[in-house]
Amino acid sequence: MKHNNFLYTLLKWPITATVFLFTSVLQADPPEIKPWFQQAVLLKSYQQSFDWRTPWEKREIRTQSGMALVVRLPVSVRISESENGNNNNLYLLTTAEIVSDATLIEVTRKDIRSPFQAKLVLMDYAANLALLQINNSKFWRNLRPVKWTPVKSSTDHEAKDIYSLKIKSQDEWTMESGTIDRMTVGHRGVSNAWFPLLRLNGISKSGQGYPLLQDNETAGMILDVGTGETKAMPAAMLLEFLKHAGSNPYQSLAHRGFIWSKLPQSSTYNHLQIPLEKPGIWISRVLPYGTGSDVLMQGDYLTKLGKWTLSHDGKVEHPDWGISLFDLLFLAHLKVGDSVKLEVIREGKPVVLQTKVSAYKENSRSVPLKIVGTAPRYVIEGGFLFQELTLNYLRIWGANWQTRAPMRLRLFLEQNKAVSIYENNKTDKSSNGSKISSEHPPRIVLVSQVIPDPVNIGYQKLSNAVVLKVNGKQIRRLEDVSTAFLNPINNFHRIDFLPGSERLSVILSVAELADANQRIKNNFRIPKLQSF
Amino acid sequence: MNGFRCEFLLKDNLQFRKYFWILLLIVCVWLALVSSVPASQNSIEQSVFRITNYQQSPDWKSPWKMKPTSQGLGSGFLIHDNWILTNAHVVSDSRMLLVNKISSPKPFLADVLAIAHDSDLALLKVRDPKFYQGLTPLELGGIPELRSRVRAYGYPVGGKELSRTEGVVSRIEFGTYVHPGIDSHLLIQTDSAINPGNSGGPVTQSGQAIGVAFQSNLRLNDVGYFIPVPLINRFLTDIKDGRYDGVPEIGIETSSLINQHYRKYLGLPEDTGGILVERVVPHSSADGVLLIGDVLTKIEDLQIDAAGMVRYSEQQVTFFIEAENRQIGDPLQLQVWRKGKFINLTLTLKTPPFGSEMRNSYDELPEYVIFGGLVFIALNRNYIHSPGNITPPLAYEHWYREIERPRTRQEQVVIVTRVLPSPVNSGYTNLHNFVVSSLNGKPVRSLAHLEKILKNMPLETTNVVFESEWHKIPLVLNFKESLDQHNSVLKRYGIIDGSRIYADKNKDSQ
Repeated sequence: MKHNNFLYTLLKWPITATVFLFTSVLQADPPEIKPWFQQAVLLKSYQQSFDWRTPWEKREIRTQSGMALVVRLPVSVRISESENGNNNNLYLLTTAEIVSDATLIEVTRKDIRSPFQAKLVLMDYAANLALLQINNSKFWRNLRPVKWTPVKSSTDHEAKDIYSLKIKSQDEWTMESGTIDRMTVGHRGVSNAWFPLLRLNGISKSGQGYPLLQDNETAGMILDVGTGETKAMPAAMLLEFLKHAGSNPYQSLAHRGFIWSKLPQSSTYNHLQIPLEKPGIWISRVLPYGTGSDVLMQGDYLTKLGKWTLSHDGKVEHPDWGISLFDLLFLAHLKVGDSVKLEVIREGKPVVLQTKVSAYKENSRSVPLKIVGTAPRYVIEGGFLFQELTLNYLRIWGANWQTRAPMRLRLFLEQNKAVSIYENNKTDKSSNGSKISSEHPPRIVLVSQVIPDPVNIGYQKLSNAVVLKVNGKQIRRLEDVSTAFLNPINNFHRIDFLPGSERLSVILSVAELADANQRIKNNFRIPKLQSF
Repeated sequence: MNGFRCEFLLKDNLQFRKYFWILLLIVCVWLALVSSVPASQNSIEQSVFRITNYQQSPDWKSPWKMKPTSQGLGSGFLIHDNWILTNAHVVSDSRMLLVNKISSPKPFLADVLAIAHDSDLALLKVRDPKFYQGLTPLELGGIPELRSRVRAYGYPVGGKELSRTEGVVSRIEFGTYVHPGIDSHLLIQTDSAINPGNSGGPVTQSGQAIGVAFQSNLRLNDVGYFIPVPLINRFLTDIKDGRYDGVPEIGIETSSLINQHYRKYLGLPEDTGGILVERVVPHSSADGVLLIGDVLTKIEDLQIDAAGMVRYSEQQVTFFIEAENRQIGDPLQLQVWRKGKFINLTLTLKTPPFGSEMRNSYDELPEYVIFGGLVFIALNRNYIHSPGNITPPLAYEHWYREIERPRTRQEQVVIVTRVLPSPVNSGYTNLHNFVVSSLNGKPVRSLAHLEKILKNMPLETTNVVFESEWHKIPLVLNFKESLDQHNSVLKRYGIIDGSRIYADKNKDSQ
């Protein structure tokens, strides 16, 4: 026993020292911090969003801090260069979330204490990216664009650690290290877009717009730092955004043009006349935008996208990331404008469809998802506040809006269709068609509240009532309300609401409306009775 | 000192005598007022009982199962014919009922004679005739005046002995009855304490029962409610033929005509009240009689004001009061303003359509069908209010469809509530709340109809295909495998019967 103890004491320190040295060798040195003083800047944004309950007012100011990366747009891309104060086509890239509804954006360099005011030149809220410019040549002096590198996966044997900046104050910039957990496809809920997303471990002190570093180059940008997991956008997606930045009108990033489902079991395959041994996915809905939306039909069974064979659960053998959801192909392998073949089984027969990769498009829903940077639209007539139903409106019920907002309005959001309310006693077939023909689907127009006035006595309990008609004219968007009020019937205005509302009709006197409108405008300090 | 004290005492004594007679007079007048009553305090208290209900309700998620037994306490009181009047919610889902007299440990077994879930009333009878010896039934009074004093008796929580509380009548109006969930009837509000356990006990005035205590408002202080006598009398009349038919409803939705511009638009004469008919419920009493756009101005002999109120027992209450005190099949006279003139109409009163689906269900085991491990039930209020089930599709089918697209609701909304995992349904095991629109192309009208289609399906059928307006992918099962595995699925999950369907509920589907 004594011999053993002696041997242990003798070997303890050399073993410990060897392990320490070996670990130190394996642990790569963090990137040098200095280059980042010229490639990333601090950003502070003062945001004031609109109050959707009182749409002519704005909400309290809040501030957000983060970073922006110095980027150079591709040579072919130019956005109002003359105003940018530099000749190198340099801009700042950050997240859309941090600058949405901003009233002031301040940017501070590491070496200059006083902030510069930045201006938003482009925002893709669905992709969560924004481009800023600063009209001051002093700001751009000695700044250099980041050097992009494709993200190397954690399964790649040559993959190295990732880093991000950790900033305690303007003077104290350090690095923190982490690892890539996986590359996935993410969805934010405020839009319908599904875009690539890197999930990281170990990064906890950075923030929105911070660079994600690998091999001393920029491999991405941090989106969100959460407890336990941090999300980032890969460089390929950022580069694609910069490439698209010059398109007029701006075109978002490549996206699929359909909603799909996995088929549950053999009897379903049998019923739908699809060979069980043939892997693929079932197209449950064709979207009005995106790849394949022009050629696919609901009920098609998609087996191959370009050269990639789809599995039963929508995965492909991705050249860089292994088995992944096929959406990841839009990161680097399928770009907007590329020709692509889609192999489908349609009504039991194999069909090859030819299409082009196309982009995500917002604003094509009956109930729009989150709208930023634009004031809510409204019309006030006789104290009746008309608004269109949006996700922003539903969110006035607070963090628990998904259980607290009126059920019927939530159902409109979920169904995303207004058409059924115009077709009483008919079966709604619109969603079963192969394609959505209208670029501008009808909206759901509400009387969100009745602003009290003598003209509307007896109607003041009405709220969140879906408007069907005004003066006999069907209301499919807010503009219809204004038009319909120009054509009263026998000196009265009549508004009809969806059954189930507090009341189903109201009558206003034409003779008293103008005075009432003026009175309401003055009494309630409303700057305009119509927002557009 | 003593003399002074005596003088004082003497003087005091004289004053005492003087005041004694005045006091005695007041007490006599008070007693005369209070005891100008058919029943003495003592006899009232003897006729108020403690009711213990051992109840068991079904598990709506697994409709073949029952939940654990629980014990509920309430009150009841004796009325004529040895009947004990109480609330429906006191005796719902009962497996055994025990009734105790005041200060008596001896329980008596009782049975439910009649129950009205829509108006939260029930009648019991004790099996042993000896129970009734020496008891005086309470007489039913009328509607009390506002601000008049009332007394509530019962066995609320916190003790075993009879509790007596006093208060005043603070409000008489229409309000929601919590037990059925959707029905609104006349109710009387009092500040007399009404707590859990008081339910079913009498509220008295001048020795008569003027109501049955039944609910309180937990958000407010000192607010209790009792069911007034007209609704009790309606119940007692309804059950005379040995069957409870229910409280009738007119079947319309109305909006006020307080706004002068609306009145001018309709051309209503000055000083005419009236309420605007904005929806006529399909299959209701008003269906085919009233039209959307009618202005209802008079009901029986009562003028309806612009807010829809009528003068009733010196109160303003909603005009629906005239329907709720009548019986199914009774006529109801109406006057409406239609196309610029007054016309008189008569409708025949009915119960509201889809009443059993819309209100809370008691004393009834859920209907269900199991096929291929899929559990089908009919959507109702109990199910949709179970945790996690108020989803937009179910809410639309349950509440909004018939309002927005009249006459499109099927007899029952059939849903797959859950899947009992087995080889035949692999891939569907997480399916939940799948609304069934059709089965192999045939629209499904009810659970009985679904079962009938399945039973009549030819044996050579390959697949059974359930389609839903809410799901793009149909639910497809292999027919033969589903039949082959049926018994083993039931055995594996300990289910004795593969279905429960009530024939009388589904006459049309048979």
